[in-house]
Order: sequence, then structure tokens, then C-alpha cells
Amino acid sequence: MKRNFSRKVAVIQFPGVNCEYETARAIRTVGLEAGLFRWNEDPAVLDDAVAIVLPGGFSYQDRIRAGVVAAKDRVMDKVSELAAAGMPVLGICNGAQVLVESGFVPGLQWESVELALAPNIMEDRSGYYCRWVYSRLEETGTAWTGSFSEGAVIPIPIAHAEGRFVTENEKVLKAMKENGQIVLRYCDSTGVVDGSFPANPNGSMDNIAAACNREGNVVAMMPHPERATWLRQVPENLPDEWGRRRRKGAGNIDLLEGEGPGRKFFASLLERLKQGGVL
Amino acid sequence: MKAKLELWVGLKVIDLVTQTAWMTFTEKLNYEGILRGLRRYSYFGIEVEGEEFEGTVEEIDRAIQLDSAFTNQNKHFYRLLAAGTDALAGQDGRHGDDLSLSVLLASDSSSLSSRGTLAIERDYPAAGRGERNGRLFSFDCLIRPSLRDRELPYMERLNGRLDGAKVTDIVAGEVWRITVEGADIEEAANIVDGMVVTRSRREGLLMNPHYQRYEVIASKELS
Repeated sequence: MKRNFSRKVAVIQFPGVNCEYETARAIRTVGLEAGLFRWNEDPAVLDDAVAIVLPGGFSYQDRIRAGVVAAKDRVMDKVSELAAAGMPVLGICNGAQVLVESGFVPGLQWESVELALAPNIMEDRSGYYCRWVYSRLEETGTAWTGSFSEGAVIPIPIAHAEGRFVTENEKVLKAMKENGQIVLRYCDSTGVVDGSFPANPNGSMDNIAAACNREGNVVAMMPHPERATWLRQVPENLPDEWGRRRRKGAGNIDLLEGEGPGRKFFASLLERLKQGGVL
Repeated sequence: MKAKLELWVGLKVIDLVTQTAWMTFTEKLNYEGILRGLRRYSYFGIEVEGEEFEGTVEEIDRAIQLDSAFTNQNKHFYRLLAAGTDALAGQDGRHGDDLSLSVLLASDSSSLSSRGTLAIERDYPAAGRGERNGRLFSFDCLIRPSLRDRELPYMERLNGRLDGAKVTDIVAGEVWRITVEGADIEEAANIVDGMVVTRSRREGLLMNPHYQRYEVIASKELS
């Protein structure tokens, strides 16, 4: 029986990803419907979806290089077609690595690989790094960030070994800046973009935490918004308003089940779909 | 005394990364019938100074067996090749800085010292197997990080385990041995370059040129 993704956000489940269920749950918190799409299903069913999310994890066990094997999958032919036609697409962490290896982000020349998400560079350590960090919203014109105010400082967790945005072509970074394709920058808790560790947790060029294509419908972000969707997910020791709210909510299930700092990424999508008459 | 060493490390079990690469090349990137063989090794190119050649190689051999950053006896076979820099200089120019000592394995060179059991010199696909339309060429492609500071920690680790000898430089990466069919070696080299460098979603797989680089350290035609 043909699967039905009508009015749903499709969450692509590559072998080895591990954030698909919580990502679908996070999407549902804003009133959107979400369903899982196995990578080897008939890609044609994605035509009916309203948006596509590539969740975090380790597609194909990160073999060869994070995201590169999934980028060659047949389903990505369909994602390419739909993204080029304007469908909102979000890649989170490993999903971001897939989008970059697919050449959809920055997509200056569609499907050309113009960036890498390279191994982290950190002070006195190497490899996998997992921590709540701060990022500053630079671009509200994307399909996934319209509900934020520009310059918003967002506490959000990262968890990766290969998340350093880098390009060997200076023209690519210049074009990304000119086109408003840098969506999030790592910063400190006050919003100051500081290039050194720990404010920049992985050595990313220009502190980039998320980037998009020229049209803003495809966003690749290394931080995990689905892990910051409920207030209960926020650490109590954050030195900001979110930390204060979390401490105040201790023991109060209604407050704890309320909005966390990352939920607006999905609320932005809902808003965009309504504005576009898709929903 | 100065010497050049190469450490080649391979898995004792089936290499699933290589299998995934093979499937991606043949099933998703249209190299079915062109790609004939694929192997992968960890690779360390080491320059070392010491009192005398054999003692220095012995010391390095002991150190790499003790440190799992180089070999883990439970899961790896390895081959350590070594040659004195002076001896290399007299060998008809075949092993400049850009060539692998492994090319000497086939020539029964007296200047080469070899330790370990990984049979890299025999690790090629059987040339006679299957139907062929062209000649078979094999390329050893060394992929390594663009940033030198990704390799230098290996030098510190090794020097921390040495007594008399001292490592002065190290190259650390992965060697992919790619065997392809081609009309001649130039065509085969172009095919391999297209397989290695990821230029687009539909071209290349093994390295991302925005943070990695590669070089062919050995090549040969299979008879």
C-alpha cells in the first residue's frame, strides 16, 4: 500500500540515524504532522509531503565520511528535485552533513560540494564534543527561522565530531555572507560572536553553526533543535533567562512540558507553510 | 643516520567501510565494470633519526606495537617498511619523497627492511578474474588532512615511546588501493581521480577537498 505523506513533514530515516523519533515528536509539538520515511521506500511518496527533515545520528555508521554515503542515495535525487522546487528541507547534525555533501548547502552551484563539515578543532581535545552552546540568529528569512527575532541568542545542544564548516574557496564564504546564507553563528551567552573556544566549540569558519541555500528553504544546522524543544530539556545551570525558567519550573510538569529554546525552528516552518497556503 | 619508514595497517576482519565504498561506487556512482578492486589501509610515513639503522627500526617497531593509535594486535595486521635515506638516494630515482617504499617490495631490494605480516604486495584483485574490456591499473591513493596539525600529534605519541631514536616528521592518513580498467594509465588515473575527489553529489566519494588532500604514492599495471 502506498504510504501517504499528505500534509506531513517527512523525517528521512537512513540506516544508522538515531534522532528520527524525537525529531518527529518535536515537529508535532507545534501542531504539524510528521511521519518517518525509510530511505529505501519509493521516493515518489515524498511529492505529497509539506517539508523534509534529515535528522541526526550516524547515517551508514559515518563510513568513509559523515553524511557522504547517504548523499549518494536514490532518495536524495527526490530531495534534490523537491528542494530545488522550493520545498522546505532541514538537516540536523548528520542531516546537515548529508545536505553539505549533497551540495544543497550553500548550493551556489546546485549539487556541487562547496563546503565541508570537517573534524572539530578544539582547545586541548579532539574528536566528539557534546555540550549546550549558544548561537545567534543571523537570518530570519529562511523557512525555518521566521518566528525568531533577528539577533536572538539561542541556547542549544551540539553533539558531533565533524561539525566545522569550512571551505577552501574564499569566494564561497564571501557569497554566503552577501546572500545572507549564514543562519546561525556560535556566540557566548550574551550574543557576542567570539571565534575562540569554547564560544566557538568546533573551530567553524566565521563561527557558522547553520547555513542555508540562496533561497532559504534548505537549512543545514549542526545544533539539535529537537533536544531543545521542551523546557525540561534545558539544563538548570544555564546562565540566562532559559536557565532561570528551567529552575523555576522544577517540579512543575506543566511548565516543564512547555516551550524550549529550539521549538521556534519548527514553529517557523508551520508559519511559513500557512503563509504559503500549503496548510 | 636518517631513515624513512612506512607503516601500513589493515584489518584482520572484513573491512565494512571498504565494502560500503564498493557498493556506493558500483551501485550509486556507475563504476560497475570499471572498478575491479578496492582495499583500504591506515598509513604512516615516518622520518626518523637514530644511531644505527637496524636498532632504530627495531625501536620504532616496538613502539608502534605498544600504541593502539598505530596498531592494535587484536584487530590489525601491519607491515613496517624501512630504508636508510642514504641507501634510497642510490636507487635509480624510483623513490623520491613522493613515492612509497612499497614499490621496492616487488624488486627484492636489498636496501629495504620489512617487518610484520600484512601482505600489501599481494593484496591486488586477481587480474584474470571476470570479463575484461581494457587493461587493469592499480593506484595507491594517500588521503590525508589538509592541516598539518592533524598529523603532528602522532609524532609526539611516537617520540614519547622512543629512547634513542627521534621521529622528525610524520604523515598520517589512509591509503585506498583502487584497481580500475582503462585503455591506458592516463585514462585510468583520470577515472581514479574522479572516484576519489568529491566534487559534486554525483562525482567522487573518498575525500572532501575542502579539508583533505590526496596523492598517488604508487601505481602499477596488473599483468
